[in-house]
Amino acid sequence: MAESDRRLPVSLLVAGLIAVAVVSMVVDRRGVIERGREFPTWLGSLLDVAAPVQDAVALPFEAVRDAWSGYISLLQVKLRNDALEREVSRLSEENLQLREALVASGRLQRIADMRKHYEVPMLPAELVGVDASPWFRSVLVDRGRDRGVLSGMPVISEKGLVGLITATARHSAKAMLVLDRQTSVDGVIQRSRSRGTVRGRGSDELEFEFVARNSDVQVNDLVITSGLGGVYPKGLFIGTISEVSDPGTQLLQRATVRPAVDFGRLEQVFVMLRRGPTMELLYSTQVGDEPPSEPAGPAS
Amino acid sequence: MKRTSLILLIGIAAPVFQGVLNTFVPARFAPDLGFLVVIALGLHWRSTAGGLVLAATLGFAADLLSGSLLGQQALLRLLAFGVARVASGHLNLRGAVPQSFFVLGLTAINALGVATLNVFFTAGGGFDLVMLRDLLSHAVVNALFAAPVSRLVETVATSFGDDEGARRALRLTPRVRST
Repeated sequence: MAESDRRLPVSLLVAGLIAVAVVSMVVDRRGVIERGREFPTWLGSLLDVAAPVQDAVALPFEAVRDAWSGYISLLQVKLRNDALEREVSRLSEENLQLREALVASGRLQRIADMRKHYEVPMLPAELVGVDASPWFRSVLVDRGRDRGVLSGMPVISEKGLVGLITATARHSAKAMLVLDRQTSVDGVIQRSRSRGTVRGRGSDELEFEFVARNSDVQVNDLVITSGLGGVYPKGLFIGTISEVSDPGTQLLQRATVRPAVDFGRLEQVFVMLRRGPTMELLYSTQVGDEPPSEPAGPAS
Repeated sequence: MKRTSLILLIGIAAPVFQGVLNTFVPARFAPDLGFLVVIALGLHWRSTAGGLVLAATLGFAADLLSGSLLGQQALLRLLAFGVARVASGHLNLRGAVPQSFFVLGLTAINALGVATLNVFFTAGGGFDLVMLRDLLSHAVVNALFAAPVSRLVETVATSFGDDEGARRALRLTPRVRST
């Protein structure tokens, strides 16, 4: 390699490499915007190799973690079990009452009809690795194009919105979490229908930005996707408002959102293989005290 | 060739391993091993041209495994390599303590670079308080791991060389301009 120093002017090489990197960024950015970021085989092979390797490397770490958490859990299992039994009894009773109320209002049938029309096929996927850089929040999942996963497909868990597939290889895919600074999702407060934009902050919390005037946003309000923009279906649970800042004289007000998903414990996700117009009713059954809102989509 | 292949293997394995590590340890408390390998290359790799190509390649590999745009970390790795290369010619970076302080500073520059490129190329915001908080802890962890990674790369550069003089000697004393 020392000879190449003499043959090739280093400054020319630097300029060339910088140009390649910048052009690559511009092209990749366009791919993200147009949702066509499917890596060719030669490029995606690193992702395909990394996924099973990360899965294998994680095994001893997971074994240690599971053993430790199992030991800790055992210490408090009796107390927790008693508490859970009481909670199950209470929730069973509450569930029964809610179902009765739903049946009485005819909504249950409408929910069933809506699910028939709009149910979104979902592909379960395992998280095999997270972002190596502290400045980005993405994950690697073990399902790729061979299973129908494509860029732009939303990723959720049973708790709520996780993120979006941003790049795919043949057997794996990369998903950007909603926590990432590059992410913004059009959201709506379920209670007041106030609209705003949910942005990732790079931390474990999100930010809800909304127009201060005429908006009703309070602590403990639930934030769901609005469906605008067409990227995410309507009604996916994003998180709960944990703090509302004082707007002062600002036109835009900000609130902190605690994500519905515990990203630190995320292991399995679901890739939505196509988009449905609304899932709000499916999630609103988990809300608890609040009655489910009216379906926004057409109900038969 | 053997040396280059081994460095490539280490440099690509680093973010792969880190992807697993970060599922157990928050990323801000984990070292950026790929970044440290590139800095060590800047300090120890004999050929500047070869080191630049390696740095860019490892950067692209990191981009593939990360949420960054393809080329974003490659560009920053080139910057890190260049800064390390120039600094090693002017500063005494032999030993754990000087290298740790150097990596501390370079981690901050890298974070500013990420924020700047995010502003230009993505919807992500610039440098903010969350990033500053993450940077403080991340820079310290990077600094702690700088010397071992540097030693590893230096060992590869010397032990697996195909040609003589594979190792690039670091200056022991800062260059003093004569008057």
